[in-house]
Formats: sequence, C-alpha cells, structure tokens
Amino acid sequence: MERRAFLKRLINFSFSILVLITGSVLVYIYPSKMKERKLHYVYLIDEDELPKRGVRKMEFKYKSEDIAMINRAYLVISDNSMNAFSPVCTHLGCFVNWDNNKMEFICPCHGGKYNQKGEVTAGPPSRPLTKLPLKVMDGKVYLGIKI
Amino acid sequence: MGNIFDWVDSRFGVRKPHSKFLERRIPENLNYSYCLGGMAFTYFLILAVTGLLLSIYYVPSEKEAYRSIVMITNEVMLGWLIRGLHKWSATLFIIFIMLHTIRVFVSKAYRPPKELNWMVGVLTFVVVMASGFTGYLLPWDQKAYWATEVGTSMIQTVPFIGDYLVYAVRGGTEVNGATLIRFYSFHILYLPITISLLLWAHFHIVKKQGISKWL
Repeated sequence: MERRAFLKRLINFSFSILVLITGSVLVYIYPSKMKERKLHYVYLIDEDELPKRGVRKMEFKYKSEDIAMINRAYLVISDNSMNAFSPVCTHLGCFVNWDNNKMEFICPCHGGKYNQKGEVTAGPPSRPLTKLPLKVMDGKVYLGIKI
Repeated sequence: MGNIFDWVDSRFGVRKPHSKFLERRIPENLNYSYCLGGMAFTYFLILAVTGLLLSIYYVPSEKEAYRSIVMITNEVMLGWLIRGLHKWSATLFIIFIMLHTIRVFVSKAYRPPKELNWMVGVLTFVVVMASGFTGYLLPWDQKAYWATEVGTSMIQTVPFIGDYLVYAVRGGTEVNGATLIRFYSFHILYLPITISLLLWAHFHIVKKQGISKWL
C-alpha cells in the first residue's frame, strides 16, 4: 500500500474511533430513565381533630429511600368538602402562603394568587394549584403523595 | 482538513514553534519496547477521561458512595464500561510503568545526563501508586474498607511519628467518612495534578536530551 493511502486510511480510522468515543460519552452522560414514583398514602391527622371549615397548613413526615422527610400541604375544608392542595406554585415552584384576611393563597415570588378552590385569580400562574388525593380510613386522614 | 489546520496554524502556531521537536532525529534500530512509556501515558489519558466521567455520578459520602457505585455499574447507560475502563486502565497503567522502567534499566538509559529523568520517573511511579491506593477506597465496600484499614495502619510503623501520620492520613483515629473524602480529594485533585506536572517534566527532559540508543 502506498504511504499516502495508508495515512489517509489511518486518519479516517482514528476519526471513526473518535466519533465512537464521543457517542459513548454522550450516552453515558445522558441521565438514565428515572424510577417511576409511586403513589403513597401518608398519615396526616385524626378525623376528629379536623377543623370545621377553613384552610389549614399541614406538616407531614414520610420516608423517601430511608431518608426522613418533612413536607407540607394545605387542607381546605368547607361545609361539605375537603381538599388538599400542594403548596407549590404552578408558575415557578415557590411555596405559596395562605392569607387569612384576604382569603387567598399568595405566592411570594411573583405575586401569583389562588382562591380557596385553588383556582388562579391573579398573577402569572397558568394552572390551578395541584390537588392531592385524600383518603379517610378508620377515623384517620391520609394524604396521597408520589414518593 | 489540511486547510483548517493551516488556518489555525498560521494564527496559533503549532508547526514552527514545535519544528525542533517534530522534526528531530531519532536513533536507528529502535524497537517496540520504546513504546512502553507512551503506552503507559495513553493509559493515563484514558484514566483522566474516564475519571472525569465517573465524577459525574460518584458521590463521595459515607452513605452514598457504595450506592452510587452500584448505580454507575447497573443503571447508568454504559456506566459499567466507563467504570471497567477506569479500573483496568489503572492496573495496566502501573504494569506498563513497570515494563517501561525495566526497558530503561536494561537499555541503561538512566546514565548521565539522564539521571534526573530517572528520578522524575521514580517519583511519578510513587505518586501513581498513591493514586491507586486512594482510588481503591472509593467504592466503599468491605474490600476497600479493610484494604485501607490495613494499608494505612502500615504507616503506624514509622518510628516516633507513626501514630500522628496515621491520624493525619485517616483524618481520625479510624477509617471513616472523613478518610473517604480525604482520599477522594487526593485521588481526583492533588495526585492527578502532581502526575501531570511530573509527566510534563519527564517529557520535557526527553525532548531536550533526545532518545538514547540501546547500549
């Protein structure tokens, strides 16, 4: 084989190796599929401790991969219904606060406001607050969260 | 391709400043044993690249270290490959340094004026061994733990200051999370930087003095 042809072939070979390596590196860096998070029911409060009506901030404890976590959710109770809302603002994920005088959830970051039903009344959020599933069993209230 | 290279070369300067090196004469009758050092260096480069990749997923903490290693091996795409490359390159790196040392010794390439390069080479070997030792702890499994327990307790035999040395190396009275972070830091920062500087000196001397003939 001619020297020039050999060198050309060598260069082409090195480039294909380089492409292969770059490809594998990109595949390696790309995050592999996340584990699907399952719905778990976490104990919230006893049924007879529930307020008659109003909005109440609830703290609850659970374990995620053996690590103890504390999180919170809002319980909204009216005459004939009870809903739980995630406090995470649907705009950019700040925690909203309940204002008892204005009767609204107010997000401190960009002024997003939600009413008692979790619907947006003002500000940038485009979706209502996320409603979380509730379950009442043996006089105890459980909250469904994905862990 | 040539055009692009010329464009860069005329502005950056690769060919001319390095012409002395690129066009130097090398003695006749060299054989493949002169490639052993270069092969060792290739393993160093593979270790550097795969090490950078592993550091994306590895977590150097008491609780997470082993779990992250298992995750790299089983869940990360091609993680087994990168980890395997790193592990085997480390072993082969040391083997090829040894073979290279034997070649230098047999061909008497350590003779004046090359003694300094022999010293730099020996120093590199020591630092590479330290790299291997610190890297061995990082999987944080039983084997790693006890190997480090035994390895570090050898330092205790140093007269007078042995106890203090062991305390400094372990970052405590026994091998624990502090040791892991210490070893991690040395493994990925201090030692690789030291090896890079030593290798730069090693190659600089080779460039300056040229390759010696097999005597």
